[in-house]
Amino acid sequence: MPPKRKAGAAGGTTAVTTTSAATKRSRPATPAVDVDTSDEYSDDEEIENTEEGRAISKVVNAFSLDLAPKGNDVISKRDSVSYIFSKQDFSYLKMKSDHESRPLWINPESGVIVLESFSPLAGQAQDFLTTIAEPLSRPTYLHEYKLTPHSLYAAVSVGLDPNDIISVMDRLSKIPVPPKIIDFIKKCTSSYGKVKLVLKENRYFVESTDPAMLQRLLQDPVIGPLRVQGEGGSGITKEKAPQMGALVIPGTRNAAGAANVNNQQGGPAEVAVDVVEDLFNSVTGLGEDEEGEDEEDEDAVHSFEIPADDVETVQKQCLDLGYPVLEEYDFRNDRKNPNLDMDLKPQAQIRSYQEKSLSKMFGNGRAKSGIIVLPCGAGKTLVGITAACTIKKSVVVLATSSMSVVQWRQEFIKWTNINPDAIAIFTSESKEKFRGDAGIIVSTYSMVTNSRNRSHDSQKMMDFLQSREWGLLILDEVHVVPAQIFRKVVHSVATHSKLGLTATLLREDDKITDLNFLIGPKLYEANWMELAEQGHIAKVQCAEVWCPMTPEFYSEYLREPDARKKVLHYIMNPRKFQATQFLIDYHEKRGDKIIVFSDNVYALRAYALKLNKAFIYGDTPQQERLRILENFQLNDQVNTIFLSKIGDTSLDLPEATCLIQISSHYGSRRQEAQRLGRILRAKRRNDEGFNAFFYSLVSKDTAEMYYSSKRQAFLVDQGYAFKVITHLQGIEQLPGLAYATVAERKELLAEVMLQNSEAGQQEGDDFDGAKLSYNAGRKGAKYRRTTGKLSELAGGDGMAYIEYNRSRNKELKGKGQSSAFFKKMHRENEKRRKEQNALKP
Amino acid sequence: MSGNIRGFGYLESLPPVTFRRLYQQPATALAIFRRMLPNLAKTIVTTLLYNESPVALGDLEALVRPESYREREDAFSKLRRLHIITENNLDVSLDPVFKKNFRLALTGGGDHHSFGVPCNTEDKKKITVQFLDDYATRQFEAILHYMVGTHNEVKPSKGVITLLTKGGLMERYGAGSVATITKNGFSFLLQDGNPQIWALLIQYLEMSEELGMEQTDVLHFLLMLGSLELGQAYSVNTLTETQKLMLADLRDYGVVYQRKSTSDRFYPTRLATTLTSESGGLRSASASMSSAMVKDAEEGKGFIILETNYRVYAYTDSPLQIAVLNLFVKLSTRYPNLVSGRISRRSIQEAIKMGITADQVIDYLSAHAHPQMRKSLVTLPPTVVDQIRLWQIEGERMRTTTGFLFKDFHSTQEFEEVAKYAEELGVLKWKKPSKRCMFVTRHEQIADWLKRRASAQQQQQQSKKVAT
Repeated sequence: MPPKRKAGAAGGTTAVTTTSAATKRSRPATPAVDVDTSDEYSDDEEIENTEEGRAISKVVNAFSLDLAPKGNDVISKRDSVSYIFSKQDFSYLKMKSDHESRPLWINPESGVIVLESFSPLAGQAQDFLTTIAEPLSRPTYLHEYKLTPHSLYAAVSVGLDPNDIISVMDRLSKIPVPPKIIDFIKKCTSSYGKVKLVLKENRYFVESTDPAMLQRLLQDPVIGPLRVQGEGGSGITKEKAPQMGALVIPGTRNAAGAANVNNQQGGPAEVAVDVVEDLFNSVTGLGEDEEGEDEEDEDAVHSFEIPADDVETVQKQCLDLGYPVLEEYDFRNDRKNPNLDMDLKPQAQIRSYQEKSLSKMFGNGRAKSGIIVLPCGAGKTLVGITAACTIKKSVVVLATSSMSVVQWRQEFIKWTNINPDAIAIFTSESKEKFRGDAGIIVSTYSMVTNSRNRSHDSQKMMDFLQSREWGLLILDEVHVVPAQIFRKVVHSVATHSKLGLTATLLREDDKITDLNFLIGPKLYEANWMELAEQGHIAKVQCAEVWCPMTPEFYSEYLREPDARKKVLHYIMNPRKFQATQFLIDYHEKRGDKIIVFSDNVYALRAYALKLNKAFIYGDTPQQERLRILENFQLNDQVNTIFLSKIGDTSLDLPEATCLIQISSHYGSRRQEAQRLGRILRAKRRNDEGFNAFFYSLVSKDTAEMYYSSKRQAFLVDQGYAFKVITHLQGIEQLPGLAYATVAERKELLAEVMLQNSEAGQQEGDDFDGAKLSYNAGRKGAKYRRTTGKLSELAGGDGMAYIEYNRSRNKELKGKGQSSAFFKKMHRENEKRRKEQNALKP
Repeated sequence: MSGNIRGFGYLESLPPVTFRRLYQQPATALAIFRRMLPNLAKTIVTTLLYNESPVALGDLEALVRPESYREREDAFSKLRRLHIITENNLDVSLDPVFKKNFRLALTGGGDHHSFGVPCNTEDKKKITVQFLDDYATRQFEAILHYMVGTHNEVKPSKGVITLLTKGGLMERYGAGSVATITKNGFSFLLQDGNPQIWALLIQYLEMSEELGMEQTDVLHFLLMLGSLELGQAYSVNTLTETQKLMLADLRDYGVVYQRKSTSDRFYPTRLATTLTSESGGLRSASASMSSAMVKDAEEGKGFIILETNYRVYAYTDSPLQIAVLNLFVKLSTRYPNLVSGRISRRSIQEAIKMGITADQVIDYLSAHAHPQMRKSLVTLPPTVVDQIRLWQIEGERMRTTTGFLFKDFHSTQEFEEVAKYAEELGVLKWKKPSKRCMFVTRHEQIADWLKRRASAQQQQQQSKKVAT
């Protein structure tokens, strides 16, 4: 079992200060037909009007299946039931005679591919499909994937040849690959990945396997004059391609091996890369025997050089021409930028899927830019670190909060033999530079992008960042940041390759598609269920608990005109409160550590105070947060904490084994997945028969039911099954059940009704612009941004708020502790912390 | 799962006289024995069959282990309702007519023609089994297609349409308008093949009475069909006038084949010859037909995959199966041998609006589950099954059970005894001891039991009186 993250390193995240609502968003029309898969929301935001956004959407649109010329409109009326399917009736297709042994169906119209996961060929097919298509759903028996321009772009960028794609598809498919799909693949791949921008020996080259393509570019009035004339007359050089095959594989090994020289041979990195190549071959090799070795000629690449200053101009011009440029970094031949002496420690072991994902990145011995998608808790950090160790140049890491910045630094020190002095942190609290020629800087998105009101120190840091060339830029949790921020980042940091890491490449708005072009294609997406089966992430029992509304609350809920206050009614539903109480009681007795999530701060406080549990929300001071989290991890008297949405991401609590969600962000599928991620890392996951629990409490017959099904869509497509619980066995017998009498419930209702409508809102959003309006009746009923203090949101400003229960938070504080127990505990903690500090260098 | 559609069980409600007349045909006696009796009842019948003198009830009951109490009661109750046994005090014997003709059916002999008379002349055109199967499938599926509303090239005849509307499977709003399917019709569609055919034939039986046809004649003929041989031509000449009339109708259903209405021979199809075979063997009509046609195919092989993400994939190219799935699945894509779609709250609630119950949907899905799904411990993903039920409950917050109220018991003791008995039978739904009333789902056995209890008490009292 691989080592875990250090528990003490956990912490809350600070809301990043940059607002997103005001930023322009780009929304290239989603390509291809909408399959009845997921419940995509479309909110009518103003369409992007930046130049780049337009160029990108132009490129994407040019190849969507929708717009592809309709080749053969086959008779849609075939038999009596054809009308049900209208255009989606493909019964006219001819099955191959041995179709039973082949696992795929291909939809000629939408590019959806259905895979029989019980076929003997499924393993290979799955590897192949994750490379060329987007996974739509991966439950038990039949999986669905979809070919999109983006996915094909990714496939091409990891070095797959369109002919290989088609021939492998044909081999796996029960029906011959439809001509329309062949067209589609050829069209997409003809422009994608044709032109590469390679940094080689510190000179930029525009590279292509097709000399005609380069000629075309040279004819271009913008690009042509920029060419650097070489010694040869033509300016176009021809050399052997660094494609896959025999040539490259040793190259990759050498890359790892060469760096390992100091470190003796056989470091883990080398082993990793070895396995990686094998895997890669097994994927691409499927098509190889047919193609044979007759590709030698084609494998030559042609290139011309351009000056470094004009790289961006060329990139933009190529995009305008419809040939997005793939960036590759030939880091082995980069002699200008100094090497960073860093290797994985021998005890660091990489799991197979991590290898697989890295193999996509370093497939041809060069570093490609792209995004790797792994579930929470599946070791994204280690993937980033291994990538950094492979490139061995200076690295910038950007994370979402200062807490995770600290975590990243610690992980680097833990997994690699890097000199701690070579890792610097750049946050509002600390602004260091590393010593030496090469090093690592860890920072947050907000530090890098916030151009206003920069202090003198941070300005100096920014100058430092901008003055250098970096080998790799690691972008943690890429999904939280809208494209606009990335543009800024990408433009302000000169880097040769970019690696995005996330668990859920999924937003309710379409801002994610730009990432394909800003960072790079999605290189790898793991299968959640598979990882859970293999024990890399915890197995989770998901349940949706239906809490009937009490009559008093329901009638008020129906009567309430204000949508935001309606929200408050179903969150504060006494039955929901009872269910929470019961579940906490039940799981605490089982020895679980429980996190309760509530987006609504008023409810968070009300629940936590009534149940006498500690809670953390946006306003909780950093010190208090740390203290509470520490107690949750170490103190067996503190088994439950309440978290607002600040706990959704990057909070690393391997102790947590049970999760209860009482209020959430409308229909956000991502939030659901992120929250589930909080328990996937559970320390005890490899205990026999261990299950983590995920409860989502929903008030029956309210809007929550609707949101709930939307929220689950992503996880359900990953193969998770939500059990509906309509009645919790034994809830009536729970001693001290809250709101058991009508009088108590009425009292609570009165209290809730006194709240102003702001109390029904959620905590201020950080980067997520995902707003979904349910109440269509209220035009523009999306939540609005108001100015005010968070204490208002928490219900702390009005006369309505009376503190009935003392906050558990206060008990955990140093001062004013009433109980001797907590004093003692605190002293012990203090002592431990001091010891830890003393141990630190 | 039948709901309001009457199947074979309808026969039980016929008057005793009809039964006496039915049993006059050995073929009918055999058919009822084969098709309608549970195994235990069959054992009892065979025990009594060659016993010339009555047997004591106690002796028969002693054949059955005490823990199989419920099955025993069930068997006796069935035999009583079908008038196969007669009871005199505590002695049991077979109905003499039944006994005589059942013996004839088993051992042969007699001049009753009840098993049909094969045509001994050669047909000019050879009729193959394959042809008969095709014919039957085409005819029967035409009916189902008509009901589902998909337009097939073969339209069912007027007679069939009248049958469907009379039977309440389809409805016509106003004269001349197109008939649309009713709630009962949907339940009908989700049934297996054999019950479907029986439901139609029973309906036909009812209608025949209105048309002045002799009911027993009709029944005789229907039950006889079950004992005919597939691929063999039978003579029309030995049939009664009523039965000759029936041929034309049965031809429309695909049960028999007759080249011309004047032709003097007819062929039973597979639909006919499987009429009285043991129940449960056949799945849906089309599935059983197609599996019957491909000789070695396993019977009723499953084809539906239901995923935890509510997607449904069905390995089928049969328009009928697709049409049936379309009743409760939102279908989206069709490949040559696969259709895909998903179950959603809306699709289920639309199905429920049409009168399909969640249980019917679940039964259908699990009866036709793909072999891959059968490999796992639970065939259907339990979360989806729960959700389908919950979607139904969402609409109806009240559940109704049809049944019978027993009240006005003489004593608490009597009430308790009956309640206990009803509970053992598994028919007790609700009871309230303070008011001495209870609600049961079926009353026949309890009524029987009460009667016998009363007579036994009377006898006791009489014997007491005698003693005093």
